[in-house]
Amino acid sequence: MIKLLEGKNILITGSNRGIGKATVEFCAKQGANIWAHARSASDDFAQFCQHVAEQHQVTITPLYFDLRDKDQMLVAVKLIKASPFPINGLINNAGITYNAIFQMTNEHNIEQNLQVNFVSHYLMTQYIIKLMSRHGGGSIVSIASTAAIDANPGRSAYGSSKAALLCATKALSREVGQMNIRANTVAPGITQTDMLSSMSDEVIAEAAASTALRRCGTPQEIASVAGYLISDHSAYITGQVLRVDGGM
Amino acid sequence: MIFGKNIVVTGALKGIGKVAVERFAEQGAHLWACANFLTPEFVSFCSELSKKHQVRVEPLCSDFTDVESVKLMAKQILAAKVPIDGLVNIAGMTKDAVFHMTTATDLLQIYQVNVVSTLVLTQLISKNMMRQKAGSIVNVSSIAATDGIAGQLAYASSKAALNGATRTLARELGSYGIRVNSIAPGVIDTDMNLNVPADILNERISSTSLGRIGKPTEVADLMCFLLSDLSSYMSGQIIRIDGGMA
Repeated sequence: MIKLLEGKNILITGSNRGIGKATVEFCAKQGANIWAHARSASDDFAQFCQHVAEQHQVTITPLYFDLRDKDQMLVAVKLIKASPFPINGLINNAGITYNAIFQMTNEHNIEQNLQVNFVSHYLMTQYIIKLMSRHGGGSIVSIASTAAIDANPGRSAYGSSKAALLCATKALSREVGQMNIRANTVAPGITQTDMLSSMSDEVIAEAAASTALRRCGTPQEIASVAGYLISDHSAYITGQVLRVDGGM
Repeated sequence: MIFGKNIVVTGALKGIGKVAVERFAEQGAHLWACANFLTPEFVSFCSELSKKHQVRVEPLCSDFTDVESVKLMAKQILAAKVPIDGLVNIAGMTKDAVFHMTTATDLLQIYQVNVVSTLVLTQLISKNMMRQKAGSIVNVSSIAATDGIAGQLAYASSKAALNGATRTLARELGSYGIRVNSIAPGVIDTDMNLNVPADILNERISSTSLGRIGKPTEVADLMCFLLSDLSSYMSGQIIRIDGGMA
């Protein structure tokens, strides 16, 4: 079997569950070494990393830090810099969700969404690009949402934070192309993760039925697109937003 | 990614199509390689690929300016009675001319080849896919369809029609498990560029984020991805592969 990500060393944020966890599994299976980020240390997560690493004969290093804390982020970046693996992939995946109508969204909610879904990724990408530019290039993938484009009711704060991420990633792609760094965004539609628990079953079923494929997506189906965009098989794709939404 | 899959590829005689056939065979897919006519070189190209990669590469031909000829070719493919996993519609033509110099005859011919024949073939092949309740269709569009390129009225509007078809077919065929996506290449290193003045070509290449022309193999890699199960939740999309233009 051809391994898509042989020789790739990737940082994946928010990798202890949902899409992030599936992305760790996919990238490891495809031969990548991984820094798997989670906010807080846990035995379960450490065991998961070790298990996946052994299964696929790759190195997976758990990294624990709070993406809202710049100092903690810089400590993690130092560890990556000091490692024998030159980083050439970054998947900005960590995120929070929030559902409320516009008039019920308070200042705190808006700031929290922007902080976690946008500002933290912006800073992390700045740090990592510095390292990538010394290693001859790389690929950055940001996980946004179709809510960033479709502007769904009740998703103004969340959607805006993801739209900001999408725009930053696209603008970045134009600035760093000459350094052989690519930057793309994945926009998942209805995906079977914990995030869905904030919606009623009725709403989920309706949304799934409205897709061309008539179903929800799985975290694995998002992970494979993110992994593809990290790989050299997408070497001429940059500045794009790939919707993975079953056709909406 | 596409090992063991049965795939129909049109426009296989040269350019991106020929490279795609090579790439797909290398990855272990069985192919019907459709050209507008069969040359001895093309036939031996197919049989060499077949031997080298231990896959089936069947050369076929049809005239895309003639719907009956396309139907005939589809019948040959369907007669094999094997499940078809993928269809890659690459066959296409352009006749660059400014708007006021574009004749109705040229318009009709370009729409015939790029849209009508492509859709007729898709109609027939997708029936086989509907029976399997699975399949992936990849249409090759162009950035001209969304950006507009002066001098490419007929080509750009025909590719825009194809994009509309992609979105519509994704909806219609989705319940049969068939995915339909478009690829919109930017400036790719093929002989389609021969008619473009060098200064315009260079300007377009240097306007990309990556600052280089795309390779046909890179487009073939995107096709592999869309044919494969790695993109199992992607449908109705138009994906630009342009080195970063818009």
